[in-house]
Amino acid sequence: MTIKARIGGAMLAAIMSATALQGAFAAEDTIKIGVLHSLSGTMAISETTLKDVMLMLVAEQNKKGGVLGKKLEAVVVDPASNWPLFAEKARELISKDKVAAVFGCWTSSSRKSVLPVFEELNSLLFYPVQYEGEESSRNIIYTGAAPNQQAIPAVDYLMNSEGVQRWVLEGTDYVYPQTTNKILKAYLMSKGVKEADIMINYTPFGFSDWQTEVSKIKSFGSAGKKTAVVSTINGDANVPFYKELGNQGIKAQDIPVVAFSVGEEELAGIDTKPLVGHLAAWNYFQSVDAPVNAEFIKTWHAFTKNDKRVTNDPMEAAYIGFNAWVKAVEAAGTTDTDKVIDSIVGVSVPNLSGGYSTVMPNHHITKPVLIGEIQANGQFDIVQQTPQVVGDEWSDYLPDSKDLISDWRKPMSCGNFNVKTGKCGGKGS
Amino acid sequence: MKMSAILLKGRRMYLRPVRILAILLGLILGFATAASSAADDPAALIKALGTANFEQAEAIIADLGKTGDTRIVPALEAFAAGDLYVRKSDSQVFIAKAAGSGFTLIDPVTGASAGEAPKSAITKIKINNSLRRAISSAQGGLTLLSPDKVVRLQAADSVLKSPSAENLELLEAALAKETDRAVKLRMEQARAVSLLSSDRPVDQKRAAIATLQSLGGRDAIGILMTAAPTLDPALKGDLDAAIKKIEGTLALWDAAQNIWYGLSLGSVLLLAAIGLSITFGVMGIINMAHGEMVMLGAYSTFVVQEIIRTKFPGAFDYSLAIALPVAFVVTGAAGLIIERGVIRFLYGRPLETLLATWGVSLVLQQLVRSIFGPTNREVGNPSWMSGSFPLGGMQVTWNRMWIVLFSLTIFLGLLLLMKRSFFGLMMRAVTQNRRMASSMGIRTPWVDAFTFALGSGIAGIAGVALSQIDNVSPNLGQSYIIDSFMVVVFGGVGNLWGTLVGALTLGVLNKFLEPWVGAVLGKILVLVLIILFIQKRPRGLFALKGRAIEA
Amino acid sequence: MITSFFLRALEGRIVAMVAVLLGFAVLVPMSNLLLGPDNPLHVPTYVMSLLGKYLCYALLALALDLVWGYCGILSLGHGAFFSLGGYAMGMYLMRQIGSRGVYGDPILPDFMVFLNWKQLPWFWYGFDMFWFAALMVLVVPGLLAFVFGWFAFRSRVNGVYLSIITQAMTYALLLAFFRNDMGFGGNNGLTDYKDILGFSVQSDGTRSVLFALSAIMLALCLILASAIVRSKFGKVLLGVRDAESRVRFLGFRVENIKLFTFVVSAMMAGIAGALFVPQVGIINPGEFAPANSIEVVIWTAVGGRSTLIGPIIGAVLVNGGKTIFTGVFPEFWLFALGGLFVLVTLFLPKGIVGTVAQALAKRRAAQAAETPTHLNGKPQAAE
Repeated sequence: MTIKARIGGAMLAAIMSATALQGAFAAEDTIKIGVLHSLSGTMAISETTLKDVMLMLVAEQNKKGGVLGKKLEAVVVDPASNWPLFAEKARELISKDKVAAVFGCWTSSSRKSVLPVFEELNSLLFYPVQYEGEESSRNIIYTGAAPNQQAIPAVDYLMNSEGVQRWVLEGTDYVYPQTTNKILKAYLMSKGVKEADIMINYTPFGFSDWQTEVSKIKSFGSAGKKTAVVSTINGDANVPFYKELGNQGIKAQDIPVVAFSVGEEELAGIDTKPLVGHLAAWNYFQSVDAPVNAEFIKTWHAFTKNDKRVTNDPMEAAYIGFNAWVKAVEAAGTTDTDKVIDSIVGVSVPNLSGGYSTVMPNHHITKPVLIGEIQANGQFDIVQQTPQVVGDEWSDYLPDSKDLISDWRKPMSCGNFNVKTGKCGGKGS
Repeated sequence: MKMSAILLKGRRMYLRPVRILAILLGLILGFATAASSAADDPAALIKALGTANFEQAEAIIADLGKTGDTRIVPALEAFAAGDLYVRKSDSQVFIAKAAGSGFTLIDPVTGASAGEAPKSAITKIKINNSLRRAISSAQGGLTLLSPDKVVRLQAADSVLKSPSAENLELLEAALAKETDRAVKLRMEQARAVSLLSSDRPVDQKRAAIATLQSLGGRDAIGILMTAAPTLDPALKGDLDAAIKKIEGTLALWDAAQNIWYGLSLGSVLLLAAIGLSITFGVMGIINMAHGEMVMLGAYSTFVVQEIIRTKFPGAFDYSLAIALPVAFVVTGAAGLIIERGVIRFLYGRPLETLLATWGVSLVLQQLVRSIFGPTNREVGNPSWMSGSFPLGGMQVTWNRMWIVLFSLTIFLGLLLLMKRSFFGLMMRAVTQNRRMASSMGIRTPWVDAFTFALGSGIAGIAGVALSQIDNVSPNLGQSYIIDSFMVVVFGGVGNLWGTLVGALTLGVLNKFLEPWVGAVLGKILVLVLIILFIQKRPRGLFALKGRAIEA
Repeated sequence: MITSFFLRALEGRIVAMVAVLLGFAVLVPMSNLLLGPDNPLHVPTYVMSLLGKYLCYALLALALDLVWGYCGILSLGHGAFFSLGGYAMGMYLMRQIGSRGVYGDPILPDFMVFLNWKQLPWFWYGFDMFWFAALMVLVVPGLLAFVFGWFAFRSRVNGVYLSIITQAMTYALLLAFFRNDMGFGGNNGLTDYKDILGFSVQSDGTRSVLFALSAIMLALCLILASAIVRSKFGKVLLGVRDAESRVRFLGFRVENIKLFTFVVSAMMAGIAGALFVPQVGIINPGEFAPANSIEVVIWTAVGGRSTLIGPIIGAVLVNGGKTIFTGVFPEFWLFALGGLFVLVTLFLPKGIVGTVAQALAKRRAAQAAETPTHLNGKPQAAE
């Protein structure tokens, strides 16, 4: 052993201890992000999965070295499906835990409940669920579908390739179905469908006795015109609805049902054999044939240690949102909310259907619309895929919102710019 | 673009004779290379499926139907089931069945085995609803002459649902040879449907309308209304009269159907409430964990089915019969533990049982969520609980019918137990006069414990039945608890008959209000009516008679 | 006379609680506004809103204790009165948004615009004025309680039957308010408030004032409730609770006594709801859920029924626990909460305050064993 070698060894040791020290510092100095999904109460059924996805994404990102050289740390809280508690927890995450961004919410009510909090405390929320549109906040990035990214392409598909002329718009009585159905009705009538050929019907949350409703659909469908059901029925009520459909013998060939809230996770609770051929419109299905999707599913199965866990559309939206945030933070070089909001517009990240999703100036993203048919194994077979569609926050089919646009880039930086009056602030008066 | 427009037009004029022309045009323009040379060769047509898009495939299916070659029926069936694949290397089409890691290939026309292929070497030919319709129409035409009676009946059914002029001739040929009466009747009806959209003379059409009138039901109205726009004006009178006649009968059956829906909803309410009528009605415990007992019963069913699925797949149809005792024991034991651990310290303080059992219900919900996860679990319907059967002009679904029978059986069983057994006698003695019963030598604490266990066990077997129609999730119990209390209070606390009448009344009332004011308002009205009813009879429908001034 | 009515209210424990509440009303906002964020005594705004929320819940629990603890009416529908008060305030706050909503409609709230409503429904008139809304906060819950109680008490519905139909009432209201056609914003409810009386609801100053108001209002209601139960009327009330028929045979109009108490309690619940909404920032039909009303009963039981201060302590403790547990053990907090309810009913049947008071009374009784003070044979603290 020569002196040289000894010196080399000492230097190596010094470098190693230096990096170790740095590592120790990094572990202390983490970036916190909030995860605001209900883990108990009625919405736990849908939201718990998204919490798991977020934990997985954080773990994966940390394996790659974190963000800005710091590790990420997820702060999970349980707002317990209670909307005022969502506001309280959001405030806690931002004020007490000082999180850099929050990923969360499922229902529109919860989003509406936390929106003032995010605007007041100037933080950032990534909202991963399809919703009714009619909103654009500077502090929210909407990675789920707006009505034009889900409902309208689905109706187009039924009209063009199944020749549907008569429509049942069946929904749970809350804001998302009400708005979506208003938009769809206006859209269908603009396509020449008569009012008598549209039936709109609402049922309460958690509705479980579908006998009368299904037989109503059956008799509406026997007027000699091809009929379809557009379902905006919410989570829990779907299982009894589909069971009743199956038992009353309504086959997809006779009256197809296209759903906007039924994905792989919801189907996991049903025997899908009688439902083969009924449709769903989403921006992602687990059956998408793309390498990035296969990789995602593999990671998911490994993370949950359960190779039967399905993936679904809100999970993809969470994935896109998280990656967009990471990219925007890296571009801005900081997690400061204002800088991230400036840098996130235009950020383009891979989505799971093999393309790229871009955050638009209206804080919605571009994504393709997929129409899938339910298969006997609980998966969807994709029968149509559109090119990228830009999320339209202000529907063109509602009289009060058709003149509005949103653009959060400077200098406009406005969520409800009226193109007619040329002013920011809605209808203006 | 132009081509697809023509094809589209062809499909829209589904029922007109011009259709053939349109399809021929489509054939020539769309895939001249693949099919024009061999429009009659089934093998070539099937091969063309491998590269066709949905609209082209639809035309190919129609051509396959016209070949009249019954050898292709298995291929069509496989296509409908999503088992038709195309081999990537030579774009040959095969029926493929999953075998191990790969697939075994079967020649679609000859049915001969064609070796095996790994999953990556073949692609599934996609199918959508329009194609499924086309397939069942073609299949119907091809199997009308099948030697098997059941197959012929199915064929007639599918032709009935997809009328076309080509099928008409096939039908008439089949009719001439048909001997079975049931099949013949159905074929006549199918013929009438196809005839209405053909260019046959008016007289024949008039007869067809009469046949359809005898078919009756919503489907007949649908068929008649579809045919209406293209029909001879002379027939308009017949058509309207027929529709009116059918609607008249339907109106009666609708009322019957509504009562049935009401009874079936009532029996669900009865199931949910009957265990409560023991724990709450007889023992006076405000058991907020009752719903969770129902949930535990449903999860027991899930576990039983899961074991059967993995270990004894053949016994699936008996899964519910096995789940019933399991659920009873599991929830009964849970009830026993709750009674011994919590409730026995709270007798005589009914409102505090509310608090404690509410706490228990939170713990049980979270426990189930931690063990089984928050998402819905799949509980399958055994074959005898799937589908429906016609009863006159109404459709009765099997699962609903079994649930009605099941709830009545439980009710009668419980009644017998209470009124005729020694345990029932002890139970009644203890609830009526605890001290007296105790001094007669009845061990009241154990009677209490087993009464509560019985109530919980019954909630558990209710859970088995409810798992057939509702979500199996940790929230299952919550959605029934309020309704259960309403039923028991409406019927009269402490009276099993009251619970029965209460449940069925509320069910029927709900179902009569629902078509009239909608599901949401209907439910609100029922609640308001219950509130008003309680003002009128403060102790429910069947009040226990007594002399106590303050019961 | 009125002075003596209220002076009688000021018994030791009540005075102490009022003093604590008033102290909070002054100190917490001062610490929030005057001390810097680095000061260890500084109360951050989110903690203050949280405490404000607890105080509103405490007021609701106090209202329930008045009817349950002193009149024997176990209402499982008090959440309905709370929510109605909240909605009255929420409607005022919605009207204050004016043209600052996303559509900029000067009159219609946003949710009406996108559901294509052309004009304001009649029941929204008047809510642009604070005094009218404030009046409605009392009138709407009071009126509902009056109508409901009028029928229920007259036909002598009591005990469990009464509890269940109060639950039916709040459940029916839940379903009704979920309906978008009702004109109350459906399941999203009313949210995104801007101003109250011209002050921004988001500023620390307004929040401080709201917090102080909640504390003061709770103190005032506590004094009122204490005055009621300690008056002659209060003695009759206890009689109704313990032996309704005897009181009736003595010639009292039991139904009127119950009705009065029920209406007063409903109005208190309405005030609690009205103070809750601007601090939390949203009111939606979820508040009508029967489970929420049951929780109120639990706070009251945990703190100690028939003690007036017990419900306040119970509400603050249970909600405080909920806040901590949902953050610390998000997956398991229901075990803790559920377990707490079971343990409290089993081991502290009189609630925290009741048990402590009983222990104190026992010690006092032991000290003065020769001179029995309780003529009715019951320890005083059990009231």
